[in-house]
Amino acid sequence: MVFAMTPERLDATFSALADPTRRAILARLARGDASVMELAAPFAMSQPAISKHLRVLERAGLISRGRDAQRRPCRLEARPLRDASGWIERYREFWDASFDALDGVLEDLKKTARKSKRTKETP
Amino acid sequence: MSKLKLIDGAPNEIIMEREFDAPRALVMQAMATPALIKRWLGGVRATVVTAEVDLRVGGSYRYVFQLPHGGEFSFAGVYREVGDDRIVHTERFNDDPRESIVTSTWTERRGKTTLRVVIAFDSPAVRDMVMGTGMADGAGESYDKLEELITSL
Repeated sequence: MVFAMTPERLDATFSALADPTRRAILARLARGDASVMELAAPFAMSQPAISKHLRVLERAGLISRGRDAQRRPCRLEARPLRDASGWIERYREFWDASFDALDGVLEDLKKTARKSKRTKETP
Repeated sequence: MSKLKLIDGAPNEIIMEREFDAPRALVMQAMATPALIKRWLGGVRATVVTAEVDLRVGGSYRYVFQLPHGGEFSFAGVYREVGDDRIVHTERFNDDPRESIVTSTWTERRGKTTLRVVIAFDSPAVRDMVMGTGMADGAGESYDKLEELITSL
């Protein structure tokens, strides 16, 4: 597929990523799983505030929570990120391929234009 | 090397720039005439099966593509502005209700034309994803690691 991801899924990913705190949480999780308490430590934020961000990330499928009832460690799920960046890469590739083909069409049009100019000039 | 350039823009924008070795009128003609669109849009990646263009303010367009291994997708929208060197239209992918606003400008210089396309999405952070900067800005090593992880997947 050229565009394998649904716009709905993309929207969830993009709006979850729109917030700098949530991006920082993802960056922290890229170094390894962490509990809510560990995630809250570097931020001047309460645990409930961090939990709210975590719920947004979880709904977007960007993180998962462990089963351990006490700690419920958070884990980065990179698949939506890969899909989102892949979608845009494919969008770019689509236009790249299109414009390369357009170069050929423009050469043809220029040739035709030159030919008709020559025909007009010849009496 | 790809001739298509991606340029930094607002957080919700993708900006593409591409130079063509042809005058502006010719480039615009090739990009707005259905019979010509069918010859280049999609390139080697997809075949245009339908190209409808009603190039006037309020007029609509619709492109339907077929993929080499089967399957179809479409781009469609309405023209909001139609000028000599600038066209603004909406764009919907596969008839999704959410649309982006696409502003295209053509600038001719010494017989060559630079096309600049600004695609504005209603959702922010898209540009961050596009440019790969969102993961790299501000937080140094940890962001680099995330980026590394994402690209390695």
